[in-house]
Amino acid sequence: MSDQSISSDQLTGRVQAAIARVDDPEYPGISIVDLGLLEQLDVDRNGAVTVGLIPTFSGCPALAMIRDDVHRAIAAVAGVTDVKVAWLPSPVWTVDRISAQTRETMAREFTVAVRIGTHAPACPRCGAPTEEHSMFGPSRCRSVNRCTSCAETVEVMRS
Amino acid sequence: MSATAPPTARQWNDMDAFEAFLNDGGIVEVDDQMPDQYRSAVFAFIEMHANSELMGGLTERDWIPRTPGLRHKMSVLAKTQDEIGHGHLLYMVAADMGVKTRIEMLEDLFAGRSRFHNVFHYQAVTWGDQVAIAFLVDAAALASQQAVFKNCSYGPYRRILKRIISEEGFHMRLGEDRMMRIAQGTDIQKEIFQDALNRWFWPALQLFGPDSKPNDLLLRWHIKSERNEVLRNKWVQKFVPMLQSYGFSVPAPDLAFDQESNTWDVGPIDWEPLKRTLAQGGPDSARRISEAKDNWERTQWVRDAMERSAMQADTGVSA
Repeated sequence: MSDQSISSDQLTGRVQAAIARVDDPEYPGISIVDLGLLEQLDVDRNGAVTVGLIPTFSGCPALAMIRDDVHRAIAAVAGVTDVKVAWLPSPVWTVDRISAQTRETMAREFTVAVRIGTHAPACPRCGAPTEEHSMFGPSRCRSVNRCTSCAETVEVMRS
Repeated sequence: MSATAPPTARQWNDMDAFEAFLNDGGIVEVDDQMPDQYRSAVFAFIEMHANSELMGGLTERDWIPRTPGLRHKMSVLAKTQDEIGHGHLLYMVAADMGVKTRIEMLEDLFAGRSRFHNVFHYQAVTWGDQVAIAFLVDAAALASQQAVFKNCSYGPYRRILKRIISEEGFHMRLGEDRMMRIAQGTDIQKEIFQDALNRWFWPALQLFGPDSKPNDLLLRWHIKSERNEVLRNKWVQKFVPMLQSYGFSVPAPDLAFDQESNTWDVGPIDWEPLKRTLAQGGPDSARRISEAKDNWERTQWVRDAMERSAMQADTGVSA
């Protein structure tokens, strides 16, 4: 399916856009790129694509699923001749890799706060401070907090 | 970052005013002076959901040491944590309603005084059962939860549900993955799955419950958005042809396809098994409940340690 009429830059742009449309399996609407999982992307002049992803944590059960989703998305891009997707052992993912805009979306759409540093984050609903209620929630990368003002149950993503 | 400030507590003069508020798409928050009947109906619904997540998590946990391969072990570990985590969040939301404390809910569950979903009253004997549960039961549970989320009038539950549904959608995909692997496996694997299907098809279908009553208060108060029979029928229309397309037979002797409406009919449904599970009289109810209770008692030391540690932090004195 090699398409000679487009430049390598154009193809890279299309591949990037395709990866950005792959959502996290647990957060529909939030892309794996928004979460900072895309570490490396190479597109060579023949249309062969190599992608390096990093997991939020190494025991994540969605790794195979995300890799397959990324593979499928890239393979569907016109001009791509070969796709390799790998999970990289480094760097280690941290919540700092989540973009500011995505943090806002997570707060607004999922009532999930992101903890940067050691400070308990603000309540996504009312902005008051939250207190940790349990170190772990439905996944290892999240704790369960409670808002000190509106009593909302808040999940907090942390690394 | 903050979206909207929490509304101050509201009250309604009577049930008519309250229902008008709900019919307008109003969302009830925890501090609102909601009618007692609404409070207890919503509480009972969330409590059953929380109990089911906990019992489901414990079932999943039983399979951690027994999965065929590491790939499945990772998914079972993650599902266990998800379900227990969902139970945790739901118990917090339920307890905030002020009807029962979290401990009271757990004590009622372990004493067999409260309900949890019918499917957790049966025993998962083989890995095939786990595949059938992940594929059929998780889909049924997800469809019910989506229907609740769609129009849910109780704000705290609605917000938790949104996250739970996203994660259950992930479980659904894991279930499809498990099913695909077994369906494309050896003859023995296919046989194991067919056996499991024979055991789980009806309990999964009955998860939706019998036809909704005309005066169902949960529908009226915008907790449920769809009648049980409508959701059940959608599930049938999806899973009957899907199972057949993978070469499995659906264990319904009166299964019929109506050419005119292009739909499947599973025939009459025997609701006796569902009634038995609701009275804690299912095939595996007693063992499930007593294991959950033992598990709770065995982990008392963790709660004691946490309490001591919290006391020390409060008083600055070591106990």
